[in-house]
Amino acid sequence: MHMATTLTINGETKSFDAPPEMPLLWVLRDILGMTGTKFGCGIAQCGACTVHVDGKAVRSCVLPVSAVENRAITTIEAVGNTPSGAKVQKAWLEAEVIQCGYCQSGQIMSAAALLASTPKPDDSDIDAAMAGNICRCGTYVRIREAIKQAANGRQS
Amino acid sequence: MSGKMRILTSVVAIAIVAAAVGVFIIRGPGPLDFAGGTKVALADYRAGKPTGVPAKLEKASIVERGEYLTKAADCMVCHTKPGEKDYSGGLAFKLPFGTLYSTNITPDKDTGIGNYSDQDFLNAVQHGKRRDGARLYPAMPYTSYTFMTDEDVLAVKAYLFSLPAVRAKAPDNTLSFPFNQRWTMIVWSAVFNPDTRFAPDTSKSPEWNRGAYLAEALAHCGECHTPRNLGFALDNRRKFAGAITAGWRAFNISSDKATGLGNWSDQDLISYLSLGHAPGHGSASGPMGEAVDHSLSKLAPEDISSIVAYLRSVPPQPSPDLPATTAPVAPASHRDGVTANARGKQVFASACASCHGWSGESPVSPVATLTGTWAVNDPAATNVAQIVLSGTKRHTPDGALSMPAFGKAYTDDEIAAVANYVTARFGAKGSKLTAKDVAELREQTAE
Repeated sequence: MHMATTLTINGETKSFDAPPEMPLLWVLRDILGMTGTKFGCGIAQCGACTVHVDGKAVRSCVLPVSAVENRAITTIEAVGNTPSGAKVQKAWLEAEVIQCGYCQSGQIMSAAALLASTPKPDDSDIDAAMAGNICRCGTYVRIREAIKQAANGRQS
Repeated sequence: MSGKMRILTSVVAIAIVAAAVGVFIIRGPGPLDFAGGTKVALADYRAGKPTGVPAKLEKASIVERGEYLTKAADCMVCHTKPGEKDYSGGLAFKLPFGTLYSTNITPDKDTGIGNYSDQDFLNAVQHGKRRDGARLYPAMPYTSYTFMTDEDVLAVKAYLFSLPAVRAKAPDNTLSFPFNQRWTMIVWSAVFNPDTRFAPDTSKSPEWNRGAYLAEALAHCGECHTPRNLGFALDNRRKFAGAITAGWRAFNISSDKATGLGNWSDQDLISYLSLGHAPGHGSASGPMGEAVDHSLSKLAPEDISSIVAYLRSVPPQPSPDLPATTAPVAPASHRDGVTANARGKQVFASACASCHGWSGESPVSPVATLTGTWAVNDPAATNVAQIVLSGTKRHTPDGALSMPAFGKAYTDDEIAAVANYVTARFGAKGSKLTAKDVAELREQTAE
């Protein structure tokens, strides 16, 4: 059963018809054409689909659209407009983190949420926040480095 | 009579009396004996109508009435193997002494119940007797269904016979001796089947009587929530005190304030029964999730209220192994709170934290909040380990979250570690599960 649904995504109001149980990721990619957020495993175990809901990193592939009405959703398309997102994206470019890139929008979303809540994370904070984001190219060392750069604001 | 004969006769007489007393003690009270009021035959009860369907279905066809009652009795969950056709049987119940398979109750003449007459069907549902005369094992809760009226049982039959016949033969049971001797169930049934129809209690409200009929005759709550006695029948001295069934813990639903439902508001109980979730009390998963999805969520609101009124009247039974209160919300940062169990923390960070949060209050949905649930406050961690193994996929409320099954992704050791971490971080007392415990839980789930 389709229902008229209204979401606030990146500060804009979007209205569309979707079944209430449709995962947010499907809405973003297939209905709204916002393909920056990636589909990986579909069971909240790889992190590729990470978005922010009320500033917290969540996996959009298991999140029914009915659960996020009236909540602020931020995706990779607009995370650069947030202070922590801007710092993370800058550090990502400077550290040349990305290899194939498929997981990286999720990595950036998780890293931006981490810095928003923990401005000076140490290794254990990075482990706790980033453990659910998998990178098959193995860019973990550069991800860790870039998060520290973003936190400390130093140039590489 | 010679002296020897007299002694022998006395010994036999004493043995018979002792056996009768023993049976009486083991059997204990019936499921409704706690109420203690005056019971009258249904036909003589004028204050209300505790049996049948809600008022809005009173004029409906027998098939429609039967559909409601079939759902209220939750026939489907046990008589359907996941992925197979509804009511075609084959679900495996793993017992300590072998495996039992549920039967096909579609109207197929060869493999289902297509040849059952009305009397055959009544015999099976109320008396535990198959059409060929063989006895049913009490995995079929006929000791509860025996309280149903003939009219209601036959409405269920009419509904089942309106469904498509499915040809499906369940695998043979693999019970070991002596449990494979079906005839012994004649004795079991004689002792443990009350074999009586529901009799209203005039000292209680019509709402209570409706609730009693729904909970005892149809929903058979006690089959999971009441501990079992030596004869593997329900021990109603500890009615609704909670028990382990099919590897999941069915928690205390007596009116005990600390560990039962005594402190739940009516609104919480209504919400939990009809949607499978109540704020601060967690979400139904496993067998209770199925009971909500396929049965309780289909009931009329007045029927849910009646069940609540009935549950409230069940005397308190403490669960001494549970803490007196559930633990408060955990610290927001991974650094605070539990620090030992690095392996459990690692698994939690990778697989659980993104939905359940480090505080236990889910950033995603209240349905996924761990704080306040008995599952994480149970020092045995039974349901935490089970849900990690098998995940959950709930149908209600609309678009409810699902949780992936991790049973094939993680080893028993890792699952034990994460269950111990979760109960320590979010519950009152951490569990001490081992890989062996998790392996045993895997063995017990019905599939």
